[in-house]
Amino acid sequence: MATAARTARIDRVLRPVHRWVWRDGGRRVRKLLAFAEVETDGGRDILRAAEVTPDPLLRRLYLAHAIDELHHGVLFRERGAELLRTRTEPASTLFNGNPLPGGHGLDDVSIEGEADARLLAFLHVAEKAAAGRFAVYRELVADDPRTRAIFDEILHDEVFHMNYTYTQLARISPRTYRSQVWLARASRVWHRVLRLAAALGALMGAAFLTLLYFVLLPPFAWLARRAATREPGGWAPISARAEAPPTSQY
Amino acid sequence: MNILGISAHYHDSAAALVVDGMPAAAVQQERLSRHKHDAGFPLEAIEWCLDHAGLSPADLDAVVFYERSMLKLERILMCSLRAFPRSWRSFPHAIRNSLGEKVWVRGIIASYLGVPRRKILFTGHHASHAAAAFFTAPTCRAAILTADGVGEWATLTVGRGERGTGGASLSLTREIRFPHSLGMLYSTFTAYLGFPVNDGEYKVMGLAAYGRPTLCDAVRKVIRRTADGGFALVPEYFEYQTSASRSFSPAFVDLFGPPRHPYDPIDLETDDGRRYADCAASVQRVLEDTLLDITRELRRETGLPDLCFGGGVALNGVANARLLAESGFERVFVPPAPGDAGCAVGAALYADRIYFKNPDREVPDHPFMGPGVDADELARVARDDGQRVEALDEPALLDRVADDLASGRIVGWMDGATEFGPRALGHRSILAAPHTVDIRDRLNRDIKSREAFRPFAPVVRAEDAERYFELPPGGLRLARFMSGVFPVRAEWRSKLAAVTHVDGTARVQALDRDMAPRLYALLGVYGRRSGIPVLLNTSFNVAGEPIVNRAIEGYSTYRRCGIDTLVAGPTLVTKPVVPQPRSMKEAYA
Repeated sequence: MATAARTARIDRVLRPVHRWVWRDGGRRVRKLLAFAEVETDGGRDILRAAEVTPDPLLRRLYLAHAIDELHHGVLFRERGAELLRTRTEPASTLFNGNPLPGGHGLDDVSIEGEADARLLAFLHVAEKAAAGRFAVYRELVADDPRTRAIFDEILHDEVFHMNYTYTQLARISPRTYRSQVWLARASRVWHRVLRLAAALGALMGAAFLTLLYFVLLPPFAWLARRAATREPGGWAPISARAEAPPTSQY
Repeated sequence: MNILGISAHYHDSAAALVVDGMPAAAVQQERLSRHKHDAGFPLEAIEWCLDHAGLSPADLDAVVFYERSMLKLERILMCSLRAFPRSWRSFPHAIRNSLGEKVWVRGIIASYLGVPRRKILFTGHHASHAAAAFFTAPTCRAAILTADGVGEWATLTVGRGERGTGGASLSLTREIRFPHSLGMLYSTFTAYLGFPVNDGEYKVMGLAAYGRPTLCDAVRKVIRRTADGGFALVPEYFEYQTSASRSFSPAFVDLFGPPRHPYDPIDLETDDGRRYADCAASVQRVLEDTLLDITRELRRETGLPDLCFGGGVALNGVANARLLAESGFERVFVPPAPGDAGCAVGAALYADRIYFKNPDREVPDHPFMGPGVDADELARVARDDGQRVEALDEPALLDRVADDLASGRIVGWMDGATEFGPRALGHRSILAAPHTVDIRDRLNRDIKSREAFRPFAPVVRAEDAERYFELPPGGLRLARFMSGVFPVRAEWRSKLAAVTHVDGTARVQALDRDMAPRLYALLGVYGRRSGIPVLLNTSFNVAGEPIVNRAIEGYSTYRRCGIDTLVAGPTLVTKPVVPQPRSMKEAYA
């Protein structure tokens, strides 16, 4: 069983980036508020797991876990809001810190219909990764004892989360629990690749549509604006179009 | 004839099944998926409706989608074009959003359900709102008003409906078109005041009671009245037609001051806090005045005594009460789900009565059309977890719950089929004694985790309502689904402190015995205990979550917040007096 958070290699490599993010007050606030959302969403997903599992012990453990996550969300939200109120420097809009991974929202796994073994393996891997990252963050906010205290509390909870997920995984899947953990790790990597691909796709799509917008739309825009000037505000009679055939989407 | 109605892809997806002209089942997708305001295709809701009625998709005669999606795409494209080149940022987002799923709705329905495409029909968005309001109301002839953010192009429509042995007719005669929208005006202020749009409008209404309408002139600068009795929003103050991320413009900020950050608390002792409250009060007043002018004109035009009011704006109980009192209409009917979710019912009823010209039928006058609650499931999981579980007969259970409420305990109450619509009307409710502010503060702090300025609602037996609340003629009807805000009688305000808002009003639910007999009986027992047969009734959920549906969801909510007693059917669960000796966390640390 895990007893303390160990920092992953990727987070050690990214340490200068993490330091840059946490050094700025505005980015720090946004990061904390983003964590609040992620922890709360994760808490709700784990709560759902508690509601759908047929295993009474797992239900109790998931429930305790969900309560922790929801509490972490509150801690992050309150601290973020507090820093927001006391912040004196203007907000930096260059980069809000969110694209950096953090927390452990469960967007990689669907709860309904998911086998407990797969969910436990996923949670174990996600909690372990998050604990390692939070350990880095904890060091980077040494100048801010109250934020550091939040990471301390969360890291303490993460030990429980890592340990129970692993122990219960071994209980319900005694033969395959190690392979389940590896599968969960591979799944996380694969989902990151998919997310990156989707983000790149979205970026390319947006670039293409923006190009279309400026190349193709100007004449239509001129016509549309002309039409708009003929439409006064106020009441309009309901046109015959509203009486379109029931099968029409127009 | 079996007709499935679907609303989806904007917010609050839902499905509803109409069998032989009667709504047989209806549920919002969020209640099943457990994602608040779930906008996805409501497959689980559809499956539940069909299972509940013992039907398969092959048994459906029609599937009706609640709006014409290509017409909506036309509006989105047209707005982008008109705002060229300012719309360059929002254009890719809007197109991806529309082309991703929304315009392919016929194919999506056909592929998910395996029904022939010819069976897939469409209604207008506001026709669905109108049908949901008119065909569910106990009236044969009525004027109709619908108002929301936007449907396809319309944002507000008026018309009339008639029904009887000869069939039914529903005609919408004129409309206000996007971007001019009362719903968008209110939502813009919702965003400006730092609340989430399509969720925080209630908060603006609650906050309005703390303010004075001193900024009405400024609000009237952003919404001007037109000579024909309509209105138009002044575009320079709004950006929702050109931006995906911001609804108000710098000119709006110049007019009303800096917007509130969503994470800033509202402190009514500060200048900013008072300004926010005054903004809320002012937009509320202007909204009411505008609606009032429109409904007075509609009353004159139709000469009808009844008004059916649908669309998201009809959730504004303060405005509804003013319409009832001042518009000239004798009765105002607001359905329990006037928003987009209710369009699933409306679309199905519209197809049944108008497209297929089936004979009109009286529909059930209650909102309980969703999944039921399994008391055995609750007993089993609560026993597993070492909770105190009792199975009581009805009188003993009511006595026990009334005792608990009278002693200041908070009760999670689940009974029968879940409500369709955003309000808990007695089947998935958190109940408490309504007498002190302490209980209100405890609910806000330990259970609902919400802003202190938001009021809680009372529930009272219909025959007792006028003793405690100043209901105008027709008020009982509006209070049936908690759709109106009315004054608490001055002599009872101190004894109903937990449900009396700062302005002395309450969004009261007047309960008939037929609608929720168990809660009705509980009110009687509680009244005999406390002398006041009124209870605080708030939705059974915590912040950010949908109202509970199954017993297990009520149970998990009860376990993690300050609810003391949980009831489902004959099962009553309370927390153990002696805490567990060793926590699970310690065991795994």
